[in-house]
Amino acid sequence: MSTHKIGVKFFVKEATTVAGDAFVPVFHRWIQQQAVPDHLLVDVADYAHVHDGPGTLLIAHEGNFAMDRDEGRLGLLYQRKQPLAGDFAQRLRLVVAIARDACRRLECDLSLEAIKFRTDQLLIRLNDRLAAPNTNETLQQHRRDLEAVAAETLGVRAVTLQRPDDPRSLFQVLAVPA
Amino acid sequence: MTWKDKLIDRMPPQWAQEIDLFEAQMALRKQGKIDEKVFAETRLRRGAYGQRYDNGQRHDGFTTRKLPYSPLTKGPDTYWDAPGMLRIKVPYGGLNPTQMEVLAELAEEYSDAICHVTTRQDIQLHFVHIDDTPDIFRRLAAVGITTREACGNAVRNVTACPLAGVCHTEVFDVTPYAKALAFYLLGHPDTQDFGRKFKIAFSGCPDKPCALVNIHDLGGIAQVRTIDGKQVRGFALYVGGGLGAVPHQAKLFDEFVPEEELLPLARAIGRVFARLGEKKNRNRARLKFLVQKLGIDEFRRLVLEERRTMPEDPSWRRFFDEIPRYKETPAFEAVQLNGARRPEGFDAWAATNVYHQKQPGYATVTVALPLGDISARQMRLLADLTRRYAGENARTTIEQNIVLRWVPHNRLPELYRDLKAIGLGDCGAGTIVDVTACPGTDTCKLGIASSRGLAGELRWRLAAKQATLDPSVRNLRIKISGCFNSCGQHHVADIGFYGNSRNVGSYTVPHFQVMLGGQWARNGGSYALAIGSVPSKAIPDLVDALTGRYVAGRQGDESFQAWCARIGKKALKEIVDPFTVVPPHDQRPDFYSDWGDVREFTIGDMGTGECAGEVVTLTSFGFSQAEAEAFEAQLLLDGGQYQAADEKAYQAMLTAARALVQIENPDVPTDPAAIVSEFRTRFVDTKIFWDTYAHGQFSNYLFARHEAADARYTADTARKTVEEANLFIDAAHKAHAKYRQKQQTSP
Repeated sequence: MSTHKIGVKFFVKEATTVAGDAFVPVFHRWIQQQAVPDHLLVDVADYAHVHDGPGTLLIAHEGNFAMDRDEGRLGLLYQRKQPLAGDFAQRLRLVVAIARDACRRLECDLSLEAIKFRTDQLLIRLNDRLAAPNTNETLQQHRRDLEAVAAETLGVRAVTLQRPDDPRSLFQVLAVPA
Repeated sequence: MTWKDKLIDRMPPQWAQEIDLFEAQMALRKQGKIDEKVFAETRLRRGAYGQRYDNGQRHDGFTTRKLPYSPLTKGPDTYWDAPGMLRIKVPYGGLNPTQMEVLAELAEEYSDAICHVTTRQDIQLHFVHIDDTPDIFRRLAAVGITTREACGNAVRNVTACPLAGVCHTEVFDVTPYAKALAFYLLGHPDTQDFGRKFKIAFSGCPDKPCALVNIHDLGGIAQVRTIDGKQVRGFALYVGGGLGAVPHQAKLFDEFVPEEELLPLARAIGRVFARLGEKKNRNRARLKFLVQKLGIDEFRRLVLEERRTMPEDPSWRRFFDEIPRYKETPAFEAVQLNGARRPEGFDAWAATNVYHQKQPGYATVTVALPLGDISARQMRLLADLTRRYAGENARTTIEQNIVLRWVPHNRLPELYRDLKAIGLGDCGAGTIVDVTACPGTDTCKLGIASSRGLAGELRWRLAAKQATLDPSVRNLRIKISGCFNSCGQHHVADIGFYGNSRNVGSYTVPHFQVMLGGQWARNGGSYALAIGSVPSKAIPDLVDALTGRYVAGRQGDESFQAWCARIGKKALKEIVDPFTVVPPHDQRPDFYSDWGDVREFTIGDMGTGECAGEVVTLTSFGFSQAEAEAFEAQLLLDGGQYQAADEKAYQAMLTAARALVQIENPDVPTDPAAIVSEFRTRFVDTKIFWDTYAHGQFSNYLFARHEAADARYTADTARKTVEEANLFIDAAHKAHAKYRQKQQTSP
């Protein structure tokens, strides 16, 4: 079984230079400017007060954009909610492309003091415990696609995938160059 | 594999069936076969609530934009695809670690990775898509949680003091009584026809604030009396309390209701409320208005009369008999802390967040949640800590926190260290820092001003100077609502606020009405005075001024409430007045937008509240259920399950017939023979359920199937029953219209 609930996170290079509430006006501006193609942008939710939480979210019908602080690592997380066409690898590529566009948009935002995203790491998450429990079987089922898309995204020949041990966690892998 | 397949053996069968039914009702709504008003109240009664902007428009700071959702609606002016809120009932706030893990999973997979604890001990998830709700319900049901009647015109979550069972001042542990009443009234036929919501709370003692009995429709305070030489448990029972725009203190119904009378009497109160409560004007439909209209003496007389004459319902015994069996077991042996080494910050945390239980060597620890929010990851890790330090014993609180109970004293330093590691080691629980706020404009359709934004700002500012605050100020309570509906319980705070707005030139400016001197103690013993409306951005400075004046002017150990009463409204207004001034836009543009929101302020985003839902008659509900059952029967037929299809179709006819009979006899039993008999007498013999051309053909479908209960089931017979069920339901609708017409034309 596969899932369309794919999430991709790019980490920022210098998390400490970005204020907790800095992304609230940015995401409001995206709504005003209808800045994200193919997305019905609904609202901004800010959880900067929650320690290592989901941070600031731009809620859209198709998927949420978050300046996420999970595990103390700030990054742009795009979490797809609505189905996408294609096989798993095609869907993953699309999600990566949407997340990367969002990162570029943030990097160009003058209010964010030249925020930069890391290109040497990528987190991929499957937000669906029924279709994709955090098991070795899920990893084996998707390994080829995960490695291929992560490698081409990071511009390297091969990546290694690190998966959390806790079976209660969502299935996610941190892809780093091999 | 679906969640339904995976969890079928772990869900209580009745709950599983209800969820299947709701899923069928969703399918019918998508086909346009259920009216949007009926579906709205149906989903509300499953806890699926609307959220801001679900009417398809939002002001982006410059202009109001359309949100182009697909046209399907899930209620009047409420789009199907718009994200909504899901309220999860947690009776008396009781949670175990497995339930906490599931809540974390649901927040991650279907929401925004946040669990929000409400002022009534519920958990709320926001930005949930309605299509995901059946699976969410199943995953909750598999761990013993239901969202049924979390919203809508129904009995809401039954709350209780989170210290029940461990508190020094309680008369006895009210937990099992809250649990028994919650599950007895859940889905009870006598609680399905209210004009408005109905809230219940239990407290173990009269003096503490932990359950706020006085602000509830029905509240019980534990009492013990000696009767015939025996110690008898019971409750001082209060009715007709409530906040909202028109707050009412609850009235004493009876000084002592013996424990075995609690459930039947609550049912009798529900029946009187259903029968005599306002149904048309939702603003006057809470029980408090009925009690006010009748007077407490007449209300009491009617309830006691109802108690004597209402039909027997022995099912209450099943819930009552569970009460003595309730026992909370500590997982670890009690050991005193003594002189053990304490980590840095521990003492300040312990001073505000640790309650020493009446059981020696044990403590209840309050995990302070900023604005009631906890991330999914934190919730999962807190489940681990609950297992490690408290066994199975966690509870949510009406101050939007979570408590871990039965923690041995000697393990408190270790627990503090572990809580800090996951960002949950904040001190200040139950102090002025621990500001309570409803969702307000963040997500609520009725919100006028940003209660959470203001609460966050106050929390941040007060936390920074927490150590230097005067002790008399430290324990004050601040509570904030986004509008006058009082979900933030501002009436019972020392310093309360509710959102409103004022026009200044061509602008609208967010304001908060200042409410001072409410009594949090004595179960919300008295309500605050409204002093004046202050721009939102001036509130933090006003709080400093108020607390400063209180510290300077209090006499002896005078409480804030007593100080407010002594100096009077005029003097309080003089303190507030300087903060009411709105600076010009070109000098302070920040005054013209709300906390945490960069958009220029508008009230144009307010929508129609769903708090009460639509008042939908029992008959409409019954028809909706019958249609969903007929739909399920069709699915079973398509799946080759002929006997199940036939039985479900028969059930659909019974449900529709019962819905009609309930117009005249709300107490019609669920027994098929009784339904058929009453249906025949009241609707067929009277030729109301009668077709001009087909005559009694449609009613005969039910009669024939009822009499042929042991028939063999084939594809053909099952198909026939399913088709007949659909025709029967159509005929029931016509009969209902005919009945109403007849009622209208009768003299």
